[in-house]
Amino acid sequence: MAAFPITGRFVGDFVPHLVAVDTDDTMDVVAEKVASFTVGHRLPRPAGPAAYDVLLDGEVLDPSLTFGAVLAERQLLPLQWVDVRFREPADA
Amino acid sequence: MLLNRDDWYETSRDLDWTLSYVQPDAAFPATWSGVEDIPADAWQAWEEPFRVSYRDYVRIQREKETGVKAVSTALARSGSYEKLDPAHVAASHLHMGTTCFVEHMAVTMQSRFCRFAPSPKWRNLGVFGMLDETRHTQLDMRFSHDLLKHDPRFDWTQKAFHTNEWGVLAVKNFFDDAMLNADCVEAALATSLTVEHGFTNIQFVALAADAMAAGDINWSNLLSSIQTDEARHAQQGFPTLAVLVEHDPERAQKAIDVAFWRSTRLFQTLTGPAMDYYTPLDQRKMSFKEFMLEWIVNHHERILEDYGLKKPWYWDQFLHSLDNGHHAMHIGTWYWRPTLFWKPNAGVSKDEREWLNEKYPTWEDNWGVLWDEIIKNVNEGHVEATLPATLPSLCNLTQLPLGSAMSRHDLAPHQLVYQGRLYQFDSGISQWCFEQDPERYAGHQNFVDRFIGGQILPPDLGGALGYMGLTPDVMGDDVYQYRWAADYAAPATAAG
Repeated sequence: MAAFPITGRFVGDFVPHLVAVDTDDTMDVVAEKVASFTVGHRLPRPAGPAAYDVLLDGEVLDPSLTFGAVLAERQLLPLQWVDVRFREPADA
Repeated sequence: MLLNRDDWYETSRDLDWTLSYVQPDAAFPATWSGVEDIPADAWQAWEEPFRVSYRDYVRIQREKETGVKAVSTALARSGSYEKLDPAHVAASHLHMGTTCFVEHMAVTMQSRFCRFAPSPKWRNLGVFGMLDETRHTQLDMRFSHDLLKHDPRFDWTQKAFHTNEWGVLAVKNFFDDAMLNADCVEAALATSLTVEHGFTNIQFVALAADAMAAGDINWSNLLSSIQTDEARHAQQGFPTLAVLVEHDPERAQKAIDVAFWRSTRLFQTLTGPAMDYYTPLDQRKMSFKEFMLEWIVNHHERILEDYGLKKPWYWDQFLHSLDNGHHAMHIGTWYWRPTLFWKPNAGVSKDEREWLNEKYPTWEDNWGVLWDEIIKNVNEGHVEATLPATLPSLCNLTQLPLGSAMSRHDLAPHQLVYQGRLYQFDSGISQWCFEQDPERYAGHQNFVDRFIGGQILPPDLGGALGYMGLTPDVMGDDVYQYRWAADYAAPATAAG
């Protein structure tokens, strides 16, 4: 396990954040980390339990993938831009 | 018979000689003069309209100094500072901390004109510019020193540029580039023509008027006095542009396009929030966008046309940014308020919000919804949820937050890999600026780079605040202690 800095943008917020993720984090954990700086701070929490998607270059990633696996496969550099958004109802 | 000034002015100002003991390019290296391929005799066309002799200069400056001192001494006795609106005072903290040492940096830039400019006329005018900037630094320091007994934030007039406060780093980065490390030609186009003549000269007039309306006669008087100098020494840009347009128009266009965008971004940071949020509502004369369109944009368009240059390729994006950039910088600086050395005013009470919506029809959808969540947290007693828990990502050109140039609906990655490192930008325009001269910008480390590089310890927000030099006595907080949010609080239910 190792920490890795990403640029995490929660879709709808005005600013992305410096987010420290771990190579062992699943995409669900990455999503929680990115969302924690926006949801309930500048965007309202959803009424029910929140579910999120993680997107890299516009592609939704499998929630069970670890960040380390994505890092190795795509040769990401520090501060890679990662998008997180509320999971759309049809997919939830 | 005593000669008139016009009889001897050119002889005095244009004094020059033919070098015989050194080569001209050793005495005036192109790295500092910036002449590149422009022939030496082209600079004979360099002309300035002010025609000031040293004797005249000293007499006029002495009169200005006497005037500023007299007003400041009288007002110190009257206790006028204590009556000022705290949001207005915050604007003076912001201005002093981010401007005083830019004036000081400008002394060095003008000194370079004195020594290395490719025309004796320019070198002589640079002497006055150098003395002007020394005066401005000293004026700011004296003004702030007098007020230090009221608020320790005035200490940041001198201190700010010796700290690593993130906003100061962004300002310093631009002026390191446009003043300290620029050759004479670049500095004249980026600083004299674009920053000073295009932006600050006019901004100082507006700021002085706002300060006067707010009852801050002392600051208004100081700004007006400085502005009269700026109006003169900023003139060094025009003759330089005229020579460059004739001999290297492509270089002229690029230098001005880069400087105009970078100046815009600084103004969105330093002036936009002060005009549209800190200035009390009943004292606002125009919105930041109206000010920019009427004074900055028209003026810049006219200069470009007069000198045969084109509008920058990013003109439409720039206009779109005028609806958004300073609102982004404002919500960002207010949210990250512990990282400031002034107390920002949220400026979103219901009346203020109505004004914002009238001036900016897209404000509610772009910014209001974000403020709604902040307001809800304040009114529910969760102020901690309105405070930062990490750093915003920053641009590798402007060093300002990503997302702070346009609206949240425009936010998209602008990234490139250069020599194995990933660089990020607040807009496609900033990325374009970087691409024009990557080596110039690639080594700079913004606050996030320093954080992930291990320079900031402990590596958390507390460590970051310590690294910035922020102490509890100056650390930013909401200037009205959130009283404005009461506008939105649910009325208490009547007892049944």
